Amino acid sequence: MANRTIPRLLQTPAIVLLLFWMLVPLSMTLFFSFIRYVLASTNRPEWTSPSISNWRGFGNYQYVWNQDSFWLAIQNSLLIVCSILFLTVILGVAIAILINRTFPGRGIVRVLLISPFFVMPAVNAVLWINMLLDPVLGLQGAAVAGANDLVALLRDAPVVGSFFSLWPQFEPISFRATQTSAYAVIMMVTWQWTPFAVLILMTSLQSEDQQQKEAAILDGASRWSQFRFLTLPHLARPIAIVVMIQAIFHLSLYAEIEIVSRGNGNKNLPYYIGELVNNNIGAASATGIFAVILANIVAIFLLRMLGKALME
Amino acid sequence: MAIVAQHTKFSKVAWPVLAWAVGLLFFFPIFFMVMTSFKTDADAVKPEFLFRFTPTLENYTNMTNNYDYWRFATNSVITSVTATLFTLFVAVPCAYAMAFNPSRGTKDILMWMLSTKMLPAAAVLYPMIFMAKSLGIYDTKFLIVMVLSLINLPIAVWMLFTYFKDIPKDIIEAGQMDGLNTWGEVREILIPLAWGGIASTALLVFIFCWNEAYWTVRLTTIDAATLSKLIEGNRAPEGLFFGRLSAVSTAAVGPIVVLGWFCQKQLVQGLTFGAVK
Repeated sequence: MANRTIPRLLQTPAIVLLLFWMLVPLSMTLFFSFIRYVLASTNRPEWTSPSISNWRGFGNYQYVWNQDSFWLAIQNSLLIVCSILFLTVILGVAIAILINRTFPGRGIVRVLLISPFFVMPAVNAVLWINMLLDPVLGLQGAAVAGANDLVALLRDAPVVGSFFSLWPQFEPISFRATQTSAYAVIMMVTWQWTPFAVLILMTSLQSEDQQQKEAAILDGASRWSQFRFLTLPHLARPIAIVVMIQAIFHLSLYAEIEIVSRGNGNKNLPYYIGELVNNNIGAASATGIFAVILANIVAIFLLRMLGKALME
Repeated sequence: MAIVAQHTKFSKVAWPVLAWAVGLLFFFPIFFMVMTSFKTDADAVKPEFLFRFTPTLENYTNMTNNYDYWRFATNSVITSVTATLFTLFVAVPCAYAMAFNPSRGTKDILMWMLSTKMLPAAAVLYPMIFMAKSLGIYDTKFLIVMVLSLINLPIAVWMLFTYFKDIPKDIIEAGQMDGLNTWGEVREILIPLAWGGIASTALLVFIFCWNEAYWTVRLTTIDAATLSKLIEGNRAPEGLFFGRLSAVSTAAVGPIVVLGWFCQKQLVQGLTFGAVK
């Protein structure tokens, strides 16, 4: 069939390009992960070029596996990803239901809500960590000072004064510190990605079966049971999609981590790899392979779900 | 019944108020950034004065002196536009063939394309640096265009495929009866019918290219540095330059946020790969 040649020809450039993108760098990573390869070494200059004679077997994997910082990076990655997923899904469902009704100015509210999603990640991080969250010069400093003034004022109030006099002074929090920088990242990414969840869940809400809902209202079903037994099951699939797409994006968060703390005690997996790349390529590559495995666990579930929806 | 009626009356007021409050809350950081961009650097560290300050345009007029803004912006425009065009140039024929002449393997190819998107960028960071440096293309716009195209190609093919799939096959067949060849089909039927889909795919790919912050930061130093790199390089101004940093940030995200408003609907299809419509 001559009919088949033209379609094949049309698909070839895309497939070849992606095949290259998929195979070449990844096989290099795989190769580097099995050899001793560092960028600078005075004692062992032979390790500074990638060569099969520096074969190390699973040595790099073992080395990385035994590093505390590797496990801290995994722990941090998971903490950040899971917190963001939890917050965006809860907020997303609530806000999608909130703006699924008609009310005056709904179009404008939608535009306001979706805007954070288009802010470039670098600007998002710079804006939040400096202008909003800075403990002295940012909005947080002003808010904490304002709250302290208010409490001081209420201490002299007649009835509630004795209650407020028990309150301590509020202290602003520095979000660049080791323990808190992950929370800053969680906050800014949640702000950026909640609109994504809202958008998708709202689209899905609009296809909800209205007759079923009316029947439920006639049967005297409460608001809560309508939500619990009709809306939530209807949203199950879009929620799963939101979760998986976000998981893939957030497992590779980088700019936010870099800008907030330069990975100060708060490295996630991509940042950890980025640090290793400065010298120890072997270990960086082994960590990269671990990252690929982690992402694949998520990806398998996502692809299965999308595969079902694809040909409908 | 009376209770129900009261409840509705209450929610008629409370519902919109709450919805507006949430909308404004989410928009507030952007609004705050725009307001700060009109403050002098001295006023910018007094966030309690949200409206009470003398507005100035000097942060915008000094953008070139302070940050060399236009050089980075030009790089962003050139790389994003070229990458978008190249992505479409490769993706449109591919999606066209998949939608109108699907073979048994089409679904698997689509899935495989998507799976390349899930490869963590950090895992192949060093090979990319290594290859770019040995080919002598590190920190060139060519490299950035290629990388941006490759990471967005799967999304573009998927989006276009979901649009093309909805075009009735009969129309194409009728065209073939009239003696159109493949190029004729594309020009006379596909492009006029799928124009909206192609445009929104282009818009979305452009937004992703513009906002990309991993490869553009790690694979450039000066010559091909984009706005992401500029902002990342000024990450910690210690309060000295909040005003001017806000101005340059506003200039970097403003056009994209406005573009984004126009393609909300397409965004859902594009980002969920057609699984939610």
